[in-house]
Amino acid sequence: MRKRRAALWTAALVAYAFLYLPLAIVVVYSFNDSRLNAEWVGFTLDWYRKLAHNEEMIAAAGNSLLIAFAASVVSTVLGTMAGVAMHRYRMRLLPILVLTPIAIPEILMGVALLIFFVLLNVTLGLLSVALAHIAFCIGFVAIVVRARLAGMDESLIEAARDCGATPGKAFWRITLPLIMPGVVAGALMAFTLSIDDFVITFFTAGAGTVTLPLQIYSMIKIAVTPEVNAVSTLLMLLTLLLIVVATRISPSLLRSS
Amino acid sequence: MKIRHLVLPLLLAFALPAAAADKLFLYNWNNYIAPETLKRFEAECKCEVVQTYYSDNEELLAKLAAGAKGYDVMVPTGNTVEALIKGGQLQPLDRSKLPNLRNVDPAYLNTSWDPGNKYSVPYAMSTTILGYNDAKMKELGLPTDTWAVIFDPKYLAKVKGRVTVLDSSAELFAAAFKYLGYPANDVDEKHWREAAELIKKAKPYWAAFNASSYIKELTVGNIWLVHGYSNDIFQANQDAQAAGRKFRIVQGMPKEGAVLAVDSMVIHKSAPRPDLAHLFINFMLDGKNSAELTNLIGSGNPNLDAAKHIKPELKALPAVFPPKEVAAKLEQLNELTPAQRRLRNRLWTEIKAAR
Repeated sequence: MRKRRAALWTAALVAYAFLYLPLAIVVVYSFNDSRLNAEWVGFTLDWYRKLAHNEEMIAAAGNSLLIAFAASVVSTVLGTMAGVAMHRYRMRLLPILVLTPIAIPEILMGVALLIFFVLLNVTLGLLSVALAHIAFCIGFVAIVVRARLAGMDESLIEAARDCGATPGKAFWRITLPLIMPGVVAGALMAFTLSIDDFVITFFTAGAGTVTLPLQIYSMIKIAVTPEVNAVSTLLMLLTLLLIVVATRISPSLLRSS
Repeated sequence: MKIRHLVLPLLLAFALPAAAADKLFLYNWNNYIAPETLKRFEAECKCEVVQTYYSDNEELLAKLAAGAKGYDVMVPTGNTVEALIKGGQLQPLDRSKLPNLRNVDPAYLNTSWDPGNKYSVPYAMSTTILGYNDAKMKELGLPTDTWAVIFDPKYLAKVKGRVTVLDSSAELFAAAFKYLGYPANDVDEKHWREAAELIKKAKPYWAAFNASSYIKELTVGNIWLVHGYSNDIFQANQDAQAAGRKFRIVQGMPKEGAVLAVDSMVIHKSAPRPDLAHLFINFMLDGKNSAELTNLIGSGNPNLDAAKHIKPELKALPAVFPPKEVAAKLEQLNELTPAQRRLRNRLWTEIKAAR
């Protein structure tokens, strides 16, 4: 018994180390006093100071946040609607329509969206990137919401209807609160998918629209400095903050239900 | 509803950038214009330069081919200009607005793909040469002025596992051709196979095909000899000196000749502001402005007027201002026909698979 427990612990530790060690190294090296960043030289906050004055990087981060925020809000609303519809009306075509954008290769989606925007004469910029992100996030939100709905007790809604609630009221007062953990999880997923997307963003971004991943990628040719580590660390902090906030709003998110 | 408080600022944020002042959209490589140059240009044109970056010529081609627009000036490399011209992506330059064109060394004008420079003018350039750790190479007594040192097992035996070559079939075949005494653009199938054999024999001695992290490997001291781009090797030495290394990273110009890559300024066919684009190109053809880029990243300079503004230690480098006898052996790469491309890809796959 004890042996099995030790084995489980080791397996868990190895798995967590594999997941979090690379992130920890990124954070540690953001404080490294060496442009090369090949070995540890000394502690410094210089890279964060530099970052604070790097207008290009800040603008890129601003664009990324704005797009991610817009994409997650809109795709959560639409994705939740799609998820509920997929659960309620068992049409065969609907899941295919909603889920295809997840399944097709990103590069195909990127090129297709670019050609589509060009055809419609949409100026490439923040709006085109945000629309593209919404398009591929909807499917992810819908999946999570549908999964949550599948585990829901239908009799609760029937009870609400018996007590005189309109279908709308039943949805707002019963269904939505029950699936909220799924909705929040979907929104978080959409946010993170949007903020680190490269391929689709690359194709749909226009002249002058730079997001964080695009900015970092274009810097790789001229060697990555700890400034990139610093900006990644800040991003991780933000993600962490979002998860904390989300679990506060909907505590059951972390509980297995 | 609280949502309303969120939606309004968001809408504003999306709508505001549309209200534009005078803007020039530059599609450029990252870190490929000196910040002080940019500031002076913005002051002179009373406009704002908005840069977007690509990190590969194929990225630029793919994006434009799909129909993206909104860019004024772009800076593609060598024969990428050919693909852009053939694709009808460029507009002809108005020579009357580019008086500074007279500063450019005639050796870099009139390329085979843009005769008479109707669409493109040289911006900056790089050569694909040797880069080495001077302390180690001296210690081992190896030559640094010949491709033999990365292809001949006689030399390679001494630096086994300390050499990297570029992960680019075009560049590596060109270097092998130069070593074998053929032109870099050779298309004779027999010569292709000969070069492939040469590469296969040398491969066991190389640590890697590396096109991205070799700058770091050089500066750290893991790798002593590379086949790489002159700008990268310059950068590696800058980094090594800044980190207080005891060795220097030096550029080695092979006596057999090397590949030259000239980045050219071009104007997109649907550029929103061709007027600002011409202003910018003429500005960058000024000696001082062109020199600032070389001083920043050690790029080769096709501008004769730039010499007097370039740091003396840079001016002496053969990769910055190739002397006549060196320049005569530099070659720009041509685009391959589909059949040639297939052959090269097949040989490249064989090379990569060989043990």
